[in-house]
Amino acid sequence: MSGPSHELDVSAFERGVSAECESGVPLGAYASSDAVHYLFLGARGAFALERPHADGRAATAFSATFPLFSWDEREMRDEWNVRFADLPDPRPLRGQDGRMPDALLATGGGLMHMVVGPVHAGIIEPGRFTFSSGGETVVHLDAQLSYSHRGVERHLCGTDALEAAAGVARICGSCSASRSLAYAQALEQLAGIELDPGVELARLVVVELERVYNHLADLAASAAGAGWGPGFARGMALKERAMRACRLGGGHRLLFDAIVPGGVGPSTLREPSELRATLRVLASSAEHYFAALFGNPSVVARWERAGVVSRKMARAFGAVGPASRASGGKIDVRAFAPYGAYRRIRVDAATAASGDAFARCCVKRDELRGSFRAIDEALAQLGDARPSAPKMPRLGPGAAIGVVEGPRGAETVAVHVDDRGRLSRLHVISASYRNWPIVAAAMDGNIVPDFPLVNKSFNLCYACADR
Amino acid sequence: MTQSSFRGSLGIRHLVCGSCNGCEHEMNALNNAYYDITRDGWDIVASPRHADVITVTGPMTVAMRAAAEQTVDAVPLPRVVVAIGDCAAGVGPWAGAPEAGEGAGVELEAAIFVHGCPPTPDAIRSGLEEAGTILSRGDVARAVKDQKRER
Repeated sequence: MSGPSHELDVSAFERGVSAECESGVPLGAYASSDAVHYLFLGARGAFALERPHADGRAATAFSATFPLFSWDEREMRDEWNVRFADLPDPRPLRGQDGRMPDALLATGGGLMHMVVGPVHAGIIEPGRFTFSSGGETVVHLDAQLSYSHRGVERHLCGTDALEAAAGVARICGSCSASRSLAYAQALEQLAGIELDPGVELARLVVVELERVYNHLADLAASAAGAGWGPGFARGMALKERAMRACRLGGGHRLLFDAIVPGGVGPSTLREPSELRATLRVLASSAEHYFAALFGNPSVVARWERAGVVSRKMARAFGAVGPASRASGGKIDVRAFAPYGAYRRIRVDAATAASGDAFARCCVKRDELRGSFRAIDEALAQLGDARPSAPKMPRLGPGAAIGVVEGPRGAETVAVHVDDRGRLSRLHVISASYRNWPIVAAAMDGNIVPDFPLVNKSFNLCYACADR
Repeated sequence: MTQSSFRGSLGIRHLVCGSCNGCEHEMNALNNAYYDITRDGWDIVASPRHADVITVTGPMTVAMRAAAEQTVDAVPLPRVVVAIGDCAAGVGPWAGAPEAGEGAGVELEAAIFVHGCPPTPDAIRSGLEEAGTILSRGDVARAVKDQKRER
């Protein structure tokens, strides 16, 4: 979804960005070769406020007032030579030539420092976490990622925008379908095409399946973080069933290529009635699981007051998705700026107020229920109709923004296409990229051994944050 | 217990080198109730020091290279590197990307390549079985050389 982009003079630009940050929904910012683009979400989709950056003037660092742009602006400076007068965190965002910049430490009497990573125990992605703590109590955590930085945006630039879809689907395994949908939306908007209602319903099924397997895995991991092995085992068994449902519904256990520009992949929704029956049984098993998990007082006691994110902090850092809604945030892109089949099948934003691991688990549980309902409704409307084959005309030049609600929040993709239909700029703002700084901030005042619990209650990806 | 009681049991350490985390979902599946590799005496271990087999994923990134080499070096000999997924074999979507390498399995001299994007848990299990066979035959070096020749 995208609205118009507005190129503005300096003072109107600065007033506009500040006003949108105060009262709107900021998504992030990026630079292209000639302009800086600050993205926001309105009720009719995403829009950009832009101004040229090659005019020799130093740009205002909005991260001085709105910390949510800290990563975006450092990246703009490091990779697009945007000059900022006053970046609050002057360190490079990413490692350079294999060397990570120094971690930010808290210093003072009795404080000690512990560095963990980039290689961790268990099957997880690489990141370096530097804890400053007084005994067990964390005073500051600096999370430095970028070990999975492959340079995917530059790699895909210059390739045909339609052919690049397979690459976009593989930037991150955990939110592949949502990103494919955001990318497809951007290209379809450039092409000026509308899709069949059946195709939109099929896409809703695919991205909700993605939410189902992710949220089940997150709840399982949160049970593990609380030290409840059986809760982890049951949750991971449910996740396996959800991944098999993904294969049934989207032709791939992680839904790669289930959504393509102009439609859905050839393996999407081949057996809609079997999928519907399978998911009804899975939804019922999930309810039994919720009862066991949320009915276990020692699990809930570990979740409560762990990793508290206040409403104010969530807003300052621009948290999205369950990380925001568990702290009283109200924005769910599906409900706030409905796109595709969400215009007909309404999804309510699930919210909670306490901002702790418990609240995040509650939001994910409620969203799972909503996803099962939405999929069932979409499959009922589809009946036995197979979605039509993808249709996509040749693309003309232009820029567009796609944004969808992925499992971890707003998944934003900005594309610039040249006059030969090739990508001239691609920028991905993942929900994980938005939310990582809040994970680090959520650790303040918690004990070091609670990091896995707090971390897993967010369960963010590294691959789409690093790109 | 005698040596033979441990025959065929594998300690497996997983190392992510710029993977999209798709392969990690399938590695994690090996521990779920459907695939449950622990019933074969296999275990995903927390330290390279405890491992016989090191599974690697991703195209390798500039940022991970030094840490990845140190991690493999920390696995006692004899050890087998198993490359999981197309990226690790250098044929995934990020081959040639500016900050990506030759493939984690290529750079870290894997003896076994399990292809797929991502490979299924069953395919990964077969690759691990093969790793066990190579270890019990005691000819890791030859297996690595064969792989290089095939490429």
